[in-house]
Amino acid sequence: MLSRIANSLFWMGRYLERAEHAARYAKVHYFSSLDAPLAQNKEFILESILTMTGNLEEYKLKNEFIIDEEVVYTISLDETNPVSIKCSINRARENARGARDSISSELWESINKFYHFVNNCSRFDLKRLGIFIFTEKIVEFCAIVNGHIDKSLLHNEAWAFIHLGIHIERSNQITRILISKIIDIQKINDETLSEAAENYQCVTLLKSAEAFDMSRTHYQALPNFRDTIEFLILNNDFPRAIRYNLSRLSKYLGKINHSKLEEKDSLEFAVGKICSTYQYLLIDEIEDDILDFLYKTLNNIDKISDLLSKKYLNY
Amino acid sequence: MSLLKEKYYKNDVFNSYERDNKFLDEVFDNEGKIREHYQKVYAEFNDFTSEDFKKLNELAKISFFNLGITFAVYSDNLNGVEKIFPFDLFPRIITYKEWEMIEKGVIQRNLAINAFLYDIYHEKHILKNGIVPAELIFSSAHYNREMINVNPSQGIYAHISGTDLIKHSDGEYYVLEDNIRSPSGVSYVLSNREAMKRSLSNLFKSCDVLPVQDYSEQLLATIQSVAPANVANPTCVILTPGMFNSAYYEHSFLAQSMGIQLVEGRDLFVERNFVYMKTIHGPERVDVIYRRIDDDFIDPLTFNPDSALGVPGLMGAYREGNVNLINAPGTGAADDKAVYTFIPDIIRYYLNEEPILRNVHTYKCESDLELKYVLENMEKLVIKPVDESGGYGIFIGSVSTEKEMEDFRKIILANRRKYIAQPIMALSVHSTYIDEAGGFEPRHIDLRTYCLLGKNKNYVLKGGLSRVALRKGSLIVNSSQGGGSKDTWVLKDK
Repeated sequence: MLSRIANSLFWMGRYLERAEHAARYAKVHYFSSLDAPLAQNKEFILESILTMTGNLEEYKLKNEFIIDEEVVYTISLDETNPVSIKCSINRARENARGARDSISSELWESINKFYHFVNNCSRFDLKRLGIFIFTEKIVEFCAIVNGHIDKSLLHNEAWAFIHLGIHIERSNQITRILISKIIDIQKINDETLSEAAENYQCVTLLKSAEAFDMSRTHYQALPNFRDTIEFLILNNDFPRAIRYNLSRLSKYLGKINHSKLEEKDSLEFAVGKICSTYQYLLIDEIEDDILDFLYKTLNNIDKISDLLSKKYLNY
Repeated sequence: MSLLKEKYYKNDVFNSYERDNKFLDEVFDNEGKIREHYQKVYAEFNDFTSEDFKKLNELAKISFFNLGITFAVYSDNLNGVEKIFPFDLFPRIITYKEWEMIEKGVIQRNLAINAFLYDIYHEKHILKNGIVPAELIFSSAHYNREMINVNPSQGIYAHISGTDLIKHSDGEYYVLEDNIRSPSGVSYVLSNREAMKRSLSNLFKSCDVLPVQDYSEQLLATIQSVAPANVANPTCVILTPGMFNSAYYEHSFLAQSMGIQLVEGRDLFVERNFVYMKTIHGPERVDVIYRRIDDDFIDPLTFNPDSALGVPGLMGAYREGNVNLINAPGTGAADDKAVYTFIPDIIRYYLNEEPILRNVHTYKCESDLELKYVLENMEKLVIKPVDESGGYGIFIGSVSTEKEMEDFRKIILANRRKYIAQPIMALSVHSTYIDEAGGFEPRHIDLRTYCLLGKNKNYVLKGGLSRVALRKGSLIVNSSQGGGSKDTWVLKDK
């Protein structure tokens, strides 16, 4: 397989995942704000959305006030914003198009439809549809595309590169969501953090990762802060937990490089080494300095992505 | 002009059909009766209302759009604008008898052109014998000196050619031009057929239509048959300028349907005169390149040094015989519109046969006598640059103003070699669904055929691309100029 194609597929996976998380985060937060406890004012939540999607600084340069409609537009349809949902979808489609001959018609058609949906949506449509329907559609399209990735492709190298992109980006996004929420929580004065407010923050955090239902099944209790971060970071079976995603990487690398030997300067060795530390970690070890841990995790994910690019994706 | 009587048009989708006997109508004869081979289709369409057709047409459009069967039109926008190539639901039908003649004629023509290409890059007998003027060839922008005495595998230059035909008001087919560089459009033929099968499956069942889906298989076999000698399992690739090229859809479609890699120039490199592609597991040798990049851009070391599309050193590897290029560089010297005039002589010279397909009479502005005729009769002529494609730079006398004529006269005189003129041919018309009219109207059509030449094989795609000039009265069928296309059916022999 061509390195250029591998690169396109990897980034296609990353951009799709990025769009999905941005959309879900915006949806969950925007709507939870409607019936939030007193401490959670609207502006606070809009700012949280901007932080998580990496838009806060740019937004503040361009706008004096944090306005509902402007925030929604910036993160969703603003073409001049390289991290908007629209830009992610356009790039995912561009990458898919560049690798058109390596993917199935079904997958291509689903991405192309997705692209046309987003590009046919004007600022006015967005306002009319409302953020809920728009982001819901984005998440739904992502599910369809993901279905075609798994059900219409040969599970070969091409598929492995898409999945490497998906899992790396998902780990990255979940880490960013955690960081952004934990900052939110710390902003609310520690002493006034009532049980209700803590519970509220945990619910939105879990919902942002589509993890609320499953965490309740898992802990069989209302979420508290400790269980919530444990679930999202260290769960082994939940597909949006960081540990789960990092533990998959070796499997996909194995699809690409069939050699069983893991030489000590190989990509497989380096990635295995980083990811294995997450396998043997307890929440007690990281709870106290959780932000520091999460920033290190972001670094680790970047490092894995760099190593992968160096070995396979340069052309 | 006669507005047709109701007795033939029970159906409201034919209500506004205005027949003009100046042109041959493929569907209706001069009295407005439906031609025999169209009767089944017409009967089927009679069951449709205008509303049904609108829906069907809409569905077909959406399916093309979702599949990304689009082309980019060059415009101010950096990335170009994506458009659907308009597809018409009324198929063009060709009887087997007529098709047999076309097929034979196309093969004959392309075999002769291939022999001609070999000759002009080797002994040049035809020039020495004065059949074709030597200066015509040597002055051609597409005569490629790098190709002199190069021997392409199996002696084949024109592996893939697209011969454009029209049906004139006299009922005969004429060749309008030859396309021997990289003729495009075949992906539309295959997609149109799919769309047609989906939308009008009943109709399809009732007519015996020859298949077109074998094209990809035939193309792959052709490409493999001309791999460098001693390569057992040749690695074949398609070389595309990239996804911003207007024909990118076709490039990816062909790669996918043949199961071969679609590469860009930056994916390839040359080392010690062998070509490799950069894969995730290191370099892999490439044996045959079906390139969809013009000669000028394939190798910046040999041709255009600014080309970022090509592969440095590719021509060296090619001359060594370590890689084959489809089509060979320099084939453009034979599809030049001035050389076109000589094709009947070229056929007689190499094959010792009479040409099966007719040429449109062509005036070369290079010749003083013919130039005089052209300048005096501009209103009756189509004047074209010899070396451009896509319908650009064409002058049509019948629709031009005095001022335009005067301007074009100057353009011709500034570069006589560049222009040829032909009488305005009465391209046949075909019933075509027109959205705004909510029904069928006659529109001018042509036919692009696709011919493959490989080792011991030649093949013509059964049908081809019927292009439609969608603008009323227009004779220009190119997609970049508002043209659409139709599925083209060749009926089985009865």
